[in-house]
Amino acid sequence: MKDSYGVVIIGGGIIGSAVGFNLLKMGVKNICVIEKSYISSGSTGRCAGGIRQQWSSPMNVRLAMRSVELFKKFEKDVGMDIEYKQGGYLLLAYTQEEEEDFVKNVKMQKAQGLDVEILSKSQIKDKFGFMNLDGVRIGSWCQSDGHANPQIANIAYAMAIRRMGGDFITHTKVEGIDIANKKIIGVQTDRGYIKTDTVVNAAGFESSKIGKMINVDIPVHGERHQILVTEPVNHFLDPLVINFNHNYYVRQTKHGSLLMGQGDANPMPGEDLGNSIEFLEEMAQKMVKDFPILENVHIVRQWSGAYDMSPDAQPIIDESRDVSKFIYATGFSGHGFMLAPAVGEAVAEMIVHGKTITMDISNLKMDRFKEHIEIEKNVV
Amino acid sequence: MMYDVIIIGGGPAGMSAATVLGDRVKTLIIDENDRLGGQLVKQTHKFFGDHEHYASTRGFEIADKLLKEIQKKPVEISPSSTVIGIYPQNTVAYVKDGQIQKVQYKKLLLATGAMERQLPFVNSDLPGVYGAGAIQTLMNQYGIFPGKRFLIVGSGNIGLILAYQLAQTGVEVKMILEALDKVGGYEVHANKVRRLGIPILTGHTIVKAIGDEKVEGAVIANVDKNFNTVKGTEREVVVDTICVAVGLTPLIELAEQSGAKVSYIPELGGYVPLRDERMRTTNHDVFVAGDLSSIEEATTAMMEGKIAAMQIFEDLTGESLEDKILYDLNSLVIFRSGPKSSKIRTGLEKMGINFPKIDIPKSQKFEKYDDSKLHAVIECNEEIPCNSCEYACKFDAIKVGSNINSVPSFDPSKCTGCAVCVTACPGLAIFMKKVDGKTATLGIPYEFLPLPKMDDVMWGIDREGNYVCDVKVKRVVKNPNKTNIVYVELPSEFVDMVRHVKYQSKESPYVCRCEEVTLDEIEKVIDSGITDFEELKRLTRVTMGPCNGKNCKMVVLGILSKKTGIPISSLSHGTSRPPTKPVEFKVFLKEGEK
Repeated sequence: MKDSYGVVIIGGGIIGSAVGFNLLKMGVKNICVIEKSYISSGSTGRCAGGIRQQWSSPMNVRLAMRSVELFKKFEKDVGMDIEYKQGGYLLLAYTQEEEEDFVKNVKMQKAQGLDVEILSKSQIKDKFGFMNLDGVRIGSWCQSDGHANPQIANIAYAMAIRRMGGDFITHTKVEGIDIANKKIIGVQTDRGYIKTDTVVNAAGFESSKIGKMINVDIPVHGERHQILVTEPVNHFLDPLVINFNHNYYVRQTKHGSLLMGQGDANPMPGEDLGNSIEFLEEMAQKMVKDFPILENVHIVRQWSGAYDMSPDAQPIIDESRDVSKFIYATGFSGHGFMLAPAVGEAVAEMIVHGKTITMDISNLKMDRFKEHIEIEKNVV
Repeated sequence: MMYDVIIIGGGPAGMSAATVLGDRVKTLIIDENDRLGGQLVKQTHKFFGDHEHYASTRGFEIADKLLKEIQKKPVEISPSSTVIGIYPQNTVAYVKDGQIQKVQYKKLLLATGAMERQLPFVNSDLPGVYGAGAIQTLMNQYGIFPGKRFLIVGSGNIGLILAYQLAQTGVEVKMILEALDKVGGYEVHANKVRRLGIPILTGHTIVKAIGDEKVEGAVIANVDKNFNTVKGTEREVVVDTICVAVGLTPLIELAEQSGAKVSYIPELGGYVPLRDERMRTTNHDVFVAGDLSSIEEATTAMMEGKIAAMQIFEDLTGESLEDKILYDLNSLVIFRSGPKSSKIRTGLEKMGINFPKIDIPKSQKFEKYDDSKLHAVIECNEEIPCNSCEYACKFDAIKVGSNINSVPSFDPSKCTGCAVCVTACPGLAIFMKKVDGKTATLGIPYEFLPLPKMDDVMWGIDREGNYVCDVKVKRVVKNPNKTNIVYVELPSEFVDMVRHVKYQSKESPYVCRCEEVTLDEIEKVIDSGITDFEELKRLTRVTMGPCNGKNCKMVVLGILSKKTGIPISSLSHGTSRPPTKPVEFKVFLKEGEK
């Protein structure tokens, strides 16, 4: 750790790491990422690693599509195989309302150039005969969606940052941010003081705490979500399947294990990352119903992670109006990993050029909360 | 020719009987093989039991000792002789040198032993399927190896010992199958093979041998409580030799011909001659001893042979040996009082031989261990008939006591660190330990070649055969009985985990067996700059398998500590997440949903 950096990124999860990597790529060498624990210790290391483009707002679809472009080049650009697989995403509709939403979204997504289509029940049956499709009306299918190993992706970014001359400092806590005349002077950590004028707040569900240090209100809170992993089984499931109606998602890793989770009926607010036995019960009952082949499969581990929830379940990427060069990229509400490559690029552009170049992400600014809030529904 | 006594079978039972007889009564001992010794001649392991009965001595050496004693006496020995029948007028007919011989006896002692049981499975007639005894004969008597990759069926002492002997020769033993839900043989024997990395699969059997002209593999499967194979659990293993070690059946033909009644008593091995406590059958002049009378240890065979011989001596001479007989009968009762002999007791009780209830005194626990001086660590927790450690210890630190089945008590304050017990223990269950701050010294009984040399760096291996850490050889103590002791230096954290050492092989050892992560892979990732356990875990999957790191976490931390210089206590070690054991989805289903 040096005593001064051009940019200090708080949070070494996938977002902070992607920002750091992109800054270095754009020639900003004097940067550091500060991680309070080990690499991938936070939400990134706990997430399922789905990468989807089927969103309900055009700007989000385009941002996700940009992310997929970057994931395709990830191994070459960042230097590590992250088990990226474009196995598709299958979304299932059970009600008329869901069906209408799917049809409307697919039309909009196609207009953005996405390779998405509506599948009839019999088309789904042909593709995924092992599933119990009782009650399914249609599906929404995008082959170029996929998944990757988020932990390895996070570590890959960190190692690339170190290789490219940046500092990635783990096991270090930020304790305060110094400002004078609405400008940043430095960051206090438990391992020393760092002079800087630019801070990126990528602290996930704790980003509101970081904001509070300099009285910047960031409307993000943590929400516990649980997840489980099974023993490895022979490969049978290419896509990530989302079932909003039965409230679950599931995907199979390259290793063969299945990762799956749900949205808790009463999500636990705050930072408690404990586990519940009810989660296993609920998951087992519905998963065996929809995937009968799981009956004899063993659950190996369960854990939980915090979604960094924003008021509309969409990211907040912006520079503070009150403190200059205080940039936040947070509130990803459970889909930060999949957007990280494009967000990292956009935030780096904001720092280097004062505005985003590749993508327009103006819909993700903080101002939007002053008006009517349109909540993203397609979230598990 | 008329003899006072004819002994048929020159194994441990027949030979011990001959040592008692001979001086005063005219004795002939007939054996099929070209030398006496029976199964002893192929036993290269040390025997359990009482030091009075050759405990701690290797089988073939016992045969040599007994033979020397017999040769001192005027006992006639007829080797290479095949008895073809017992005929009227107490006549034994046998073929020797292509010529029939007829001899008569006043008393007959049958010690014909047993033959190996067969196990029915598909293609069991393929070349490459052997009985355990056949492999021991080929290997230990003739130095011939029938294969390179072995599957052993049966985890009784024979299967376990064979696995160990095969491993000593350097061939690969893939696994040992056991149909029961627990290991059949002594726990210490099982531990000896487990730490060589040979898995013992309980609840498993062989379904068929694979191959056209010889064995090329085997299909194995789980069995249910009734020993039926469980459909869908079949899997193939690649082996070139299958060894069946599923027990022995007494060879009773001559006993029946001699007029002794036989009865089916499965606890004793099948059909066995009925006999009394002193080995006399229903024919007053015919005695039995050894595996023919009940499938048991060579030690009991020797005791029985002696008892039978003394009774025969009394019969013939009218002289009383009652004190000696009663003493030996009592030893035999105590010998058989342990849990491993419960089947034998049940079987003999069916025959009318009753066993008094005999206490097995519990071992005394000594809490105070001073690890700063070298002392023994005894890992013998099963009540088996053996007291060789007590006999070996000249300083009174080890006590087995009045019942040979008691687990040894060890008083560390009396231990001088001489390690004689380590070499004496037939179960290789005694180790030497000393802790000196961060470094520890561990003494390991070692029966492999080549012997390690000073300053060699070897792999420390745990009780299941997994790599633990590198160790450095500090001292090698060679012993005439060939159980040598290798003293190694290793980090203190691992002194209670390492139980075997082996030379590093070209292939990197698996550290995490669940996820098949090797030492090499782990070291490479650490060398690339990853020094956090959690990050290492995510990149290599080490500790992420179904055991959740129970087996290998310490080992990984040790590697990390060695590489980074950070003590294990200062490293993060991950989170213990539920479920602690893998659990099937279906256990969460309610009735009716399944």
